Amino acid sequence: MKERISPPRLAQRFLAYFLRGELAEEVCGDLDEKFYSDLLKKSSLKAKINYWYQVFNYLRPFALRKSMSTNINSYDMLQSYFIIGWRSLTKQRMYSAIKVGGFSLGIASCLLIALFINDELSYDLRYPDGDRIFRVVIAYNYMGESGKDVWMQAPFAKALKDDYPEIEKVGRYNSSELFGAGSKEIRRSDKIENTYEEGFVYFDQGLLDILQLPMVYGNPSKALSDPHTIVITKRKADKYFPNENPVGKSFILNNDEKNPFRIGGVIEDFPATSHLQYDFLMTMTGVEFWNGEQSDWGATNYPTYILLKSGANAKQLEKKMLSVIDKYLLPIWIKDGVPNAKEMSKAGWFELQPVKSIHLRSEGISDPVSHGDIRFVWLFGAVAAFILLIAMINFINLSTAKSANRAKEVGLRKTVGSLRINIINQFLTESLLYSVFSFVVGVLLAWFLLPYFNLLSAKSIQFPWTDWQLFPMLLLAALVVGILAGLYPAFYLSSFNPASVLKGNVSRGSKSSTMRSSLVVFQFTASVVLIIATFVIYRQVEYILNKKVGFDKDQVILIQGTNTLDEKIKTFKNELLQLSQVKSVTISDYLPIRGTKRNGNGFWNEGKDKIDKSIGVQFWRVDYDYIKTMGMKIVEGRNFSENMASDSSGIIINQTMAKKLGLTDPVGKGVQNWRVWNVIGVVEDFHFESLREQIGPLCFVLGNNSNIVSVKVNTASMASVIQSIDGIWKKFSTNQPIRYAFLNESFARMYDDVQRMGRIFISAAGLAIIVACLGLFALSAFMVEQRSKEISIRLVLGASLNTIFNMLTFNFLKLVVISIVVAVPIAWYVMHHWLQNFTYRTEITWDIFVIAGSLSVLIALLTISYQSIRAAFVNPVEKLKTE
Amino acid sequence: MIETRLGEFEEVILLLAGILGEDAYAFKIADEFESQTKRSVSIGAVHSSLTRLEEKGFLKSEMGKSTAARGGRRKRIYTLTAYGKKTLAAARDFRQSLWDQYPGFAASSLSFGL
Repeated sequence: MKERISPPRLAQRFLAYFLRGELAEEVCGDLDEKFYSDLLKKSSLKAKINYWYQVFNYLRPFALRKSMSTNINSYDMLQSYFIIGWRSLTKQRMYSAIKVGGFSLGIASCLLIALFINDELSYDLRYPDGDRIFRVVIAYNYMGESGKDVWMQAPFAKALKDDYPEIEKVGRYNSSELFGAGSKEIRRSDKIENTYEEGFVYFDQGLLDILQLPMVYGNPSKALSDPHTIVITKRKADKYFPNENPVGKSFILNNDEKNPFRIGGVIEDFPATSHLQYDFLMTMTGVEFWNGEQSDWGATNYPTYILLKSGANAKQLEKKMLSVIDKYLLPIWIKDGVPNAKEMSKAGWFELQPVKSIHLRSEGISDPVSHGDIRFVWLFGAVAAFILLIAMINFINLSTAKSANRAKEVGLRKTVGSLRINIINQFLTESLLYSVFSFVVGVLLAWFLLPYFNLLSAKSIQFPWTDWQLFPMLLLAALVVGILAGLYPAFYLSSFNPASVLKGNVSRGSKSSTMRSSLVVFQFTASVVLIIATFVIYRQVEYILNKKVGFDKDQVILIQGTNTLDEKIKTFKNELLQLSQVKSVTISDYLPIRGTKRNGNGFWNEGKDKIDKSIGVQFWRVDYDYIKTMGMKIVEGRNFSENMASDSSGIIINQTMAKKLGLTDPVGKGVQNWRVWNVIGVVEDFHFESLREQIGPLCFVLGNNSNIVSVKVNTASMASVIQSIDGIWKKFSTNQPIRYAFLNESFARMYDDVQRMGRIFISAAGLAIIVACLGLFALSAFMVEQRSKEISIRLVLGASLNTIFNMLTFNFLKLVVISIVVAVPIAWYVMHHWLQNFTYRTEITWDIFVIAGSLSVLIALLTISYQSIRAAFVNPVEKLKTE
Repeated sequence: MIETRLGEFEEVILLLAGILGEDAYAFKIADEFESQTKRSVSIGAVHSSLTRLEEKGFLKSEMGKSTAARGGRRKRIYTLTAYGKKTLAAARDFRQSLWDQYPGFAASSLSFGL
């Protein structure tokens, strides 16, 4: 039996692989003998383990093959590379600090932007069946008018489910303020104090099933299936029902005590990376906003989602869905006598948008959720790459610039037998050392700056320390960036001819000066482009915020949540008017800022509803004082008057509506939606949506809606007015604290994204300039050092400080000026395109280029002049006495 | 430059090579080292040491006989050179002279704890 046991084959093969040929016989013999003698005393396993142990113990220099032992040698070289690298890093503190500092700044900003992009890309990835969930988008292109939106008819979802077997589930939500979604005053049914809450939405049980939102309490498949049920998020459950299971408890909404909402379930909070952000999901079961609403194919209010059966093809379904138009919509249009109904039905089609692309790829789709923009993500990525590139260029420039000082080292190394590859390795190792060092500093910097970055970008990104991918990725990035940045210096430095270097005619770094100059030009071009972009963005923001928008947004206080006052609201208004600072008061939910009530209607000229195509008009209900309070201007006709009873059927239209209806003298004419209105006045066009869009048709009629009371005041002390208003409020509403906002602030908030972009750009431009200047600073220091003897001799021979200063500064300024010349057309082109996003936009004027140009010259000048002045002031004796 | 001083391990290996005589090859020396000192050692370490000692001129070697346990492979037999013997004796004498100077010990009761 013992004969069959032999030493482990793998170990033998390994031994044969590395062992010197001439030792093979004796060593193998010795090890065999050892193995068989072990077998007599120990188990075969122990003997085998021992054999392995013996094999490993032959990994000694004397026993290794010749070709192997160079490996060992290169380990020593590596050690030497590190030592030399470390020495050169510590020897020149300033250059090292600038290299590492600039590099780590670049890395930190790159990392932050990478985190941002990662966050943007991670939206809506958590739904278990995410790849089968689609949002239905309807698109149309009719008579030159085209668009896409997500609003579907109430019965649309059910029709889909009935007609297409490949659809597993359907679900809708309704977030329209018109029907009571949005914000409400809320309280537990056992409390009396109201609290204001936002994030209300009507939600189908079906949508809950499709998204499979994780539930903390309650039955996910039944949470919304009964009438008057509501599902709330964990954070709201913790707020209203701390430490208890709220399922089965009730909420009173807007003081409506007859219709309490029973809590059917508690879901986890929507993650920040979800396109849906709501806190209170009210059931759609049993809800009808008007009689027959749920079967009405005329009103579109419902974003609709579907869950496909696995294996079903979304593209094919899109085509099949065209029959929905013919089957349900066309008969109604024909019945209603819509002109050209046949053509219209051919002009629309459906698209199924995957749920995970909603956040970034909804450009051109009108919907009620806020979005990122894939173009913005790209732009951001490009900025990050630019900054990193600028930082890498610094690195390359400084390394080649300092090459003169290391030329002798290279020469000597070559003389004593270094191969070129050794020198390349030497410099690559150094570059890696810098890179890894910079990455460590950069990561710490990014971690430190993350809270500020979150403020800047309106995100809540955490630093992913716990992500296992982070460190391998960073290490890999450090290696790649280090090698890339070190490649040019390594090849350049290793190309020196030892004889000429040691003789003393070193190239002094002049050979690469063209290369260096062009890199400096590149750096400054990038910086100047960013500066100009920043200027243009700021101009545009200023332009929007200060543009005459057609109404007076200053000194208007919006008191919200006034619907709970019920009929006392009229008295409240009258009491407000008693205050001396109050000029006028209006009660209306429709305001010319985003996020307030909207109501789109189709309008015709009177009697043309069977002939013409309707135009889409905003149909706003206001009171007598609305136009006065908002500071709008009547250009024709008159305002509503309390003395004219007939004004209840009067309508005030805006100029755009008059134009669209083709009315040249509109006052006295009739227009109609579902009934006929008599035009009594025309109001000057005002912006009621973002300035990105054209002003659309709009009209006012008298009506009651009571969520918002707007108060126009005339005062220098806003605080005292608010105090007096609060005093009046307390008399009317004891259970609900006053909630107010300012019209101009709400208006400015509509442009948050533009302002945010401006802030991000200003930071990026600042960073780019800082990094570029760091490089310039080091380069000028280097140049001064190289020419110190020349400068001293010039000074001795009578050169003035001025001449020296000019001589040193001119070279670099030339480069900066070239950069500006290159940057201006690029920046103009890019920003011109960006401005096309806005219908109302500022002009790019020449003074922007002049300001940006002189700014960069000034910064560069300041950077260089420090070194130049220092050089010019030095005592020539100091530099010359060594000769 | 060849180092000529003897380390403790080298001295023991040299002595063992002398003791084993005809049987002085790497495996046997390592085996003997383990049984005499109760310290474990790998054959590789012994082999490396033997090679070094040969380079220094304390040992010479030639290929010897083969046995069945070695799969028919020959072994390398090491023998002490005159220089090696002289160096060993010098090391012992040096140590002896130190012990002679050491107070409280009779020279006759000394034994080197190898």
